[in-house]
Amino acid sequence: MDFGSFLTNPEIKVKIVTYRDIFQDKAMLENRFGEEYRNRSAIIKLDPADLKQLNLKIGDTVTIKNSFGSVVVKAEESGYETPHRGIAYMPKGPWSITLISDETGGTGVPKFKDISVTITSAKGEKVTEIESLF
Amino acid sequence: MEKNYHVCTGCGLLCDDIEVEAEKNIINKVLTACRIGVAHMKEGKGEAIFRVDNKPVDEAVAISEAATILKNAKNPLIFGLGASTNETQKIAIELAKKINATLDDTSSFCLGSLVEAIIREKIKTCTLDEVRNKADVIIFWGTDPSDSHPRHLSKYSYFPRGKEKQRGWEEERTAIAVDVRKSHTAKICGNYFFQIPPKGDAEFIDALIAGLSGKLPKTSYNYPPKKILELANILKGAKFGVIFAGRGLVNSLENLEPIFRLMKALNEKANFHLMPMVGSCNTMGFNENLFAETGYVNSVKFENGTVLHGPEYSIVESLKAKTVDAALIIGSDPFSILPGSIVKNLLEIPVVSIDSYETLTSRNSKVYINTAVSGVEAGGTATRMDRKKVSFEPFIETNHPSEETILKKIMEAL
Repeated sequence: MDFGSFLTNPEIKVKIVTYRDIFQDKAMLENRFGEEYRNRSAIIKLDPADLKQLNLKIGDTVTIKNSFGSVVVKAEESGYETPHRGIAYMPKGPWSITLISDETGGTGVPKFKDISVTITSAKGEKVTEIESLF
Repeated sequence: MEKNYHVCTGCGLLCDDIEVEAEKNIINKVLTACRIGVAHMKEGKGEAIFRVDNKPVDEAVAISEAATILKNAKNPLIFGLGASTNETQKIAIELAKKINATLDDTSSFCLGSLVEAIIREKIKTCTLDEVRNKADVIIFWGTDPSDSHPRHLSKYSYFPRGKEKQRGWEEERTAIAVDVRKSHTAKICGNYFFQIPPKGDAEFIDALIAGLSGKLPKTSYNYPPKKILELANILKGAKFGVIFAGRGLVNSLENLEPIFRLMKALNEKANFHLMPMVGSCNTMGFNENLFAETGYVNSVKFENGTVLHGPEYSIVESLKAKTVDAALIIGSDPFSILPGSIVKNLLEIPVVSIDSYETLTSRNSKVYINTAVSGVEAGGTATRMDRKKVSFEPFIETNHPSEETILKKIMEAL
C-alpha cells in the first residue's frame, strides 16, 4: 500500500490506457460541445479496489493530474473481471489528452496508452468543461 | 424497384451498402449503417460558415485571409486529410509543394509505419473480401473494431457466411483477441481472449514464436505457457489467417521488428496476412498518394523541389519544436487527438481550419471554412483500409463548398 492512501484525502498513482468507445464517437459526431459527449468522455474507469481506496462511489468526481495537466472527471468501475489495480482506462478525447506527456523521444509518437497520473477525490466538484481545457 | 446504395465515409471500412431516405435535402433515415455511420450521415447542417477571427465573413474574404496566412509563413504545416477524397489529397500535396510546407497526417502517430510496410510489400496482406470469403483464423491485436469499425465483424471478419465459409463463425472461424483490456471485441472472442499487460506485446510475440516451434513460451509476466501453446496450435492450423493490427499493438512496440518476426514464423507453419486497422475513411488514400509522390507515407517537408522526411517533420515534433509558423488543418481536430502539452503550441500561430464540423480546432483558428461532408454532400473517391478504391456521389444538395473547391481557390489566391 502506498503512502498516499493514509492521507486525509487519499491519493493513488495509476497508469491510464486510452481507448475508443462507439457511443462516445457517435456523441462527438452529433455535437462535440454537448452534454452527451462530455458524459462519455470525461470519465475514468477504475478497478473497484482503487475506487474503495479513494473512498469513492461510482459517479463521484475525481481530480486527475500530473505535470502536464489536471482535469476533473467522473469515476466509474471498469466492469472487467480481471483485477487491474493501478491501471485505469479513459476514452480518447480532449480530457485524456490533456494528461499525455510531451516526451516522445523524437519519434513523433506520444505515449497515448501509458499516462502516469495521481488521482484524488473531487467530491462535489464539477467535471471540467471542454471550453476550459485550452 | 432498383435500390440506390450509398457509401458511408464514417470509418476506414467505407461500407457501400447504405440506404438513405431523404426528402427536401433532409436525411430522414439511414439504413444498414452502424451507430457511427448513422450519426455521421445524419449530421445536420445549417448555413455555410466562413469566419475570420471568429467573426462571420463571406467565402472570398476567408479564402483571401487563408492565402495571406500561407503566403506569409516561412514554414507552414498542412495537416489532416484523413477524411478527404483522393482528389482533395492530391491538391493538398500540390499546395504543400507550392508553399514549401511540412505535410503530415494522423498516421505519423497512429499506424503509418505499418501501412508503409504494407505499401512496400514487406508484409503479406489481403483484402476484406478475401477475409469474408476465406478467413478461418482471425486475430484482433490491440484493436477493438466493435467500437472503431462497428461492422467489421458482421460484414467481413467473423460472422458472414463467406463463399468458402458457409458454416460461418459457429464452425469455421476462430476469432482471437490480444489486448490489455477486455474490449467489446474481446468479449465476442470468448475463451480466445489473451489479456496481456500494457507494453507486453513484444514479449508475447516472442513467446508465441517459441510456441510455434514447440519451445516453452516464457514471458517476464508469467503468462501461462499452456495458453500460449494452445494459441500457437490454432495459428499453425490456419489455412487463411489474418491479423488485424491496431494502435494498441503498434504503440506498444519500439519498432515493427517483432511483427516482421511473427509474420515470418506464422508463414513458415501456416498462411497468414496482416491488415492495419486504419481508422479514418481515407487515411490509406493519403498514405498511398503521398507515397506515390514522394516515396514516404507521412512526415514530409517540401523545399524548393526536394522532399525531406523524418519524424522531425511529423505534426508532433514540428509543433513541439515550434518549427512551423502557420497551420492549414483539413478535416481534423488536433485539439481532440494530440497531447495538450504539444497542441497548445498551435495557439501561438495562425491556423486555418477547413472542416465539415465545428471543433476545438475550428474555434481556435484564425480562419474557419465549413465544408461539405464527403460522401454525403460531396463526391469523389477514397481508399478503403484494404487499399480498394471506392467512389461515391453526393446525395444531398448543399451550399457548403467541398474541401476540393476550397483548396483549389486557395491555390489560385496564392
